[in-house]
Amino acid sequence: MTARRYDVIVVGGGHNGLVAAAYLARAGRRVLVLERRSMVGGAAVTEEIFPGFKFSVFSYVVSLLRPEIIRELDLPRHGLQILPLESTVTPLDNGDYLASWADPDETRRELCRHSPRDAEAMAVFGRLMQHMAMAVKPILGMVPPDPGSLAPSDLAGLLRFGRHMRGLGPDRFHALFKLMTMSSADYLDEWFECGPLKATKSASGIIGTFLGPRSPGTAYVLLHHYMGEIDGAFRAWGFQKGGTGAISDAIAGAARALGAEIRTDAAVERVLVRSGRVTGVALVSGEEVAAPVVISGLDPRLTFTQLVDPDELPADLVEGVRRFKFRGSSAKVNLALAGLPEFTCLPGPGPHLRGAFSISPSVEYLERAYDDAKYGDFSRQPYMDIVIPSMIDPGMAPPGRHVMSIFVQYAPYARTGGWTDAARDALGDAAVQTLARYAPNLPSLVLHRQVLTPLDIERITGLSEGNIFQGELALHQLFFLRPVPAWAKYRTPIEGYWQCGAGTHPGGGIMGASGRLAAYELLGSSAR
Amino acid sequence: MNDRHDVIVIGAGANGLAAAATLGRAGLAVIVLEQSGAVGGLQRTVEFAPGFHATPTAADDGWLPPAMARDLGLGVPVRTIPDIPLTVALAPGDVLPLARESRAAAEAIRRHSARDAATWPAFTAQLHKLAGFLAVLYQRPAPDIATTGLRDLASLLRVALGLRALGRADMAEFLRIVPMSVRELLDDRFECEALKAAVAAGAVRDLRQGPRSGGTGFVLLHYLVGAAPGSVRDRGYCRDGPETCVAALDALARRNGVTIRTDTAVSRILVRDDAVTGVALASGAEVSAPRVLSTADPAATFLGLVDPVWLDPELLHAVRNIKFRGAAAVVLYALDSLPQRGGLPAASLAGVVTLTPQLDALERAADAAKYGNVSEHPHVEISAPSIRWPAVAPPGKHVVVARVQYAPHCLKDGNGWDGARREALADRVSHLIDTAVPGFLDRVLHRAMFTPADFEARYGVTEGALTHGELTLDQVLFMRPIPGLAHYATPLTGLYLGGAGTHPGPGVMGGGGWLAARRLLQDGTGP
Repeated sequence: MTARRYDVIVVGGGHNGLVAAAYLARAGRRVLVLERRSMVGGAAVTEEIFPGFKFSVFSYVVSLLRPEIIRELDLPRHGLQILPLESTVTPLDNGDYLASWADPDETRRELCRHSPRDAEAMAVFGRLMQHMAMAVKPILGMVPPDPGSLAPSDLAGLLRFGRHMRGLGPDRFHALFKLMTMSSADYLDEWFECGPLKATKSASGIIGTFLGPRSPGTAYVLLHHYMGEIDGAFRAWGFQKGGTGAISDAIAGAARALGAEIRTDAAVERVLVRSGRVTGVALVSGEEVAAPVVISGLDPRLTFTQLVDPDELPADLVEGVRRFKFRGSSAKVNLALAGLPEFTCLPGPGPHLRGAFSISPSVEYLERAYDDAKYGDFSRQPYMDIVIPSMIDPGMAPPGRHVMSIFVQYAPYARTGGWTDAARDALGDAAVQTLARYAPNLPSLVLHRQVLTPLDIERITGLSEGNIFQGELALHQLFFLRPVPAWAKYRTPIEGYWQCGAGTHPGGGIMGASGRLAAYELLGSSAR
Repeated sequence: MNDRHDVIVIGAGANGLAAAATLGRAGLAVIVLEQSGAVGGLQRTVEFAPGFHATPTAADDGWLPPAMARDLGLGVPVRTIPDIPLTVALAPGDVLPLARESRAAAEAIRRHSARDAATWPAFTAQLHKLAGFLAVLYQRPAPDIATTGLRDLASLLRVALGLRALGRADMAEFLRIVPMSVRELLDDRFECEALKAAVAAGAVRDLRQGPRSGGTGFVLLHYLVGAAPGSVRDRGYCRDGPETCVAALDALARRNGVTIRTDTAVSRILVRDDAVTGVALASGAEVSAPRVLSTADPAATFLGLVDPVWLDPELLHAVRNIKFRGAAAVVLYALDSLPQRGGLPAASLAGVVTLTPQLDALERAADAAKYGNVSEHPHVEISAPSIRWPAVAPPGKHVVVARVQYAPHCLKDGNGWDGARREALADRVSHLIDTAVPGFLDRVLHRAMFTPADFEARYGVTEGALTHGELTLDQVLFMRPIPGLAHYATPLTGLYLGGAGTHPGPGVMGGGGWLAARRLLQDGTGP
């Protein structure tokens, strides 16, 4: 046992763990964060994979980071600097494209070119989405009440939730209900006629899920991705200077400034429990660190079945965790490029290279990509979201050279035949070849290529089945059902053992809300 | 036709008859107008070949809400539950019978998986319990947190307490299952493919979606409301014949003084100053009344019968966006005799026999519909009503009904359901049955095919949707038929909706009509 005593140990230095640590340190707790890898960040890391080429290896864009966290932890002072991703271009098979630009008027004119009716509808749609995002925001900031409990705090929470819903008024409540239950394609069909527009928008409804654009439940994920803070834009995403790892570093910096201690290369083997109570953690190295409180920032499977002995837990909780769906469905291809790709639809350099490219020519294209995955293989023509970070932040690549980040879906974790080296290469080839249909010079520019299958994501980050949200954002895994009924309030049945990862409400994306809510819940419980 | 009526009810299906009976009992002068030659709507049987009768929609006998029966003093028809409500045809000569008696079912399942056999009894018991909570919701207007006035909060609270009364674990399971895909639900519990595919098929019934779609958990529960414990398919059948339920409702309505006119098609609902004044008939005649209760589906009512000038554009937009998506077809077979070989016991055909023993096969059949195509290998379920009711066929002969999915109403190639396509599908279905039940084809005397296009033409259901609107989560409970209109009244004074397109929806005999009539009475029937 080390001499120094801690009040709280946070297992896992992902962004939620770091946020929780910062808030606890801010409240005067002596906090130790233990991170298995040699850098903090979890799936939000920047690494120099090839000499001179830096990559946001996994998560690569940000828009969901809660503004109160940025404010309360003073993250800009610690290096947070979000550069806007200004455009999205969807190349089409007929050589044309559909784009949205930073300037709303320009976007409107562009959409008019494809469908004047949709340009009209977009204004109304954008307003509705803003209202919906505002309707959901209070819920994201709410500790989920337990509908099965009779405790006064739960009843009060349910009442508050019910009042909030009623307060929306029938129109917004019903609109929200539709968003929560419909498929993104059906939902968008009610609004728009332009195929590529519907496809590109519905693509954000499938990210990280094992669902197609016509699967009910995807409209919510679409909204989830609409909740960026840069209001009004067609797609409000940003890029952190220095890569997403710099966000983690900023949060870690804030936590350290508030007094938290962070140790990397410190893999936790298990959480120590005596008589139903946490006493500390044991590291893989054999070292033991004592603390009366341990918070796991890992996903529910690891939190409940690896860090502790499931026998310590009620059987229904263990069964609930077993049923919790991960089903990682996305892969990442990171390219080091000798120069800039030349898109047939928009030749030459231009502002479009500073934005995103969405390979989503039609809803049917996405749906067929999903069909491949349903039957156990990766999509031969996948949905892809592509950015060239070095165009926005030149420090990411050597002068004149570039890095390209390709998010690829679908790549099922449970691929029939497994993820062999050959399969991984084939996935990388499919991604590059699919993009080459729209940017023919791409293959000749590739200097290095990193392909990360869901299995690789699991191996490197620990995320079970490579699920980027620590568990699917499906309706039956949200709010008081996330991760399991009765244990959605960050507590666990083991006294002193808590959870704060994205596998808890509200989860998903670089949001930090789970970490913050868990910290407050913990602080509130010890105050009582 | 010039008599004064207090209420005109459009449609003499179960909902129209239940509405009329309710209104007649309250002393109102009610006339029911039915376009076809007889009452019964989707439940009606037809003579599809000389001496052979069946229901072209392949509707089961549905569930008669006990609260409605009590309220109306309706004698509940005696039901017979097949010993084996559901059987999976695995290969010629090999079946998995899922008996209602759970020990017998477990015994059959054990041959495939001991683990599944152990899980089965608790699983069916849980489904029965959760469907029981839906039954509570289905005997009252849908609770709507957003539109409920403070006065009605007590009723909302009662529903919430009913949910909690399930107990902590089952309540959580209800909330989890409803939005889930039936595939996930089954994968969590079972390993036997045939078992999973059989249960899943009930959850995609009349849906243009496959078992991986969210919300199919709800559909599974929906069609199990009123089902016998242990059964995972259908609600059993009326002992006295296929039309017992509608006949009982018909008799009750007439006893309550209701006039029922068949062969009387309504062409328009007449409106003046935002209030209905009656209806115009296809014959050109007019029937006047200050109230009209339509049991036609919401699109047929609002887009087909009402002049759009009287309707708000937002309402029209919402109605146009209702997903109907008829995707089921039915083939009726007149058989010389039931095949003896093939290992399919007659006891199985008294219930439902599914010919799809793999989940992926079901999913692939659904994939076709997603792209606007007819399934190459459709999911087929067969049943022989002549075993239950020998009178539907000449002595010694039999009727086999095949439900087929997916046969989408809206086809991508734009050719529609022409004769060649209908026959091609019917041939494929016949071949599939003959493969599972060798000798079947040799015994077929006659067959009749009904596609969604036929359902649309015959019953007036939009897009051939027998559901009057797909049972997706955004179209059930307080969202049915459209948000804001879930409580049967419409923006037009005197116009009410009460068909299967309203809560509680398809398969509930008379539920929507009964609740709509009660709403009408509650609103008052003064001038």
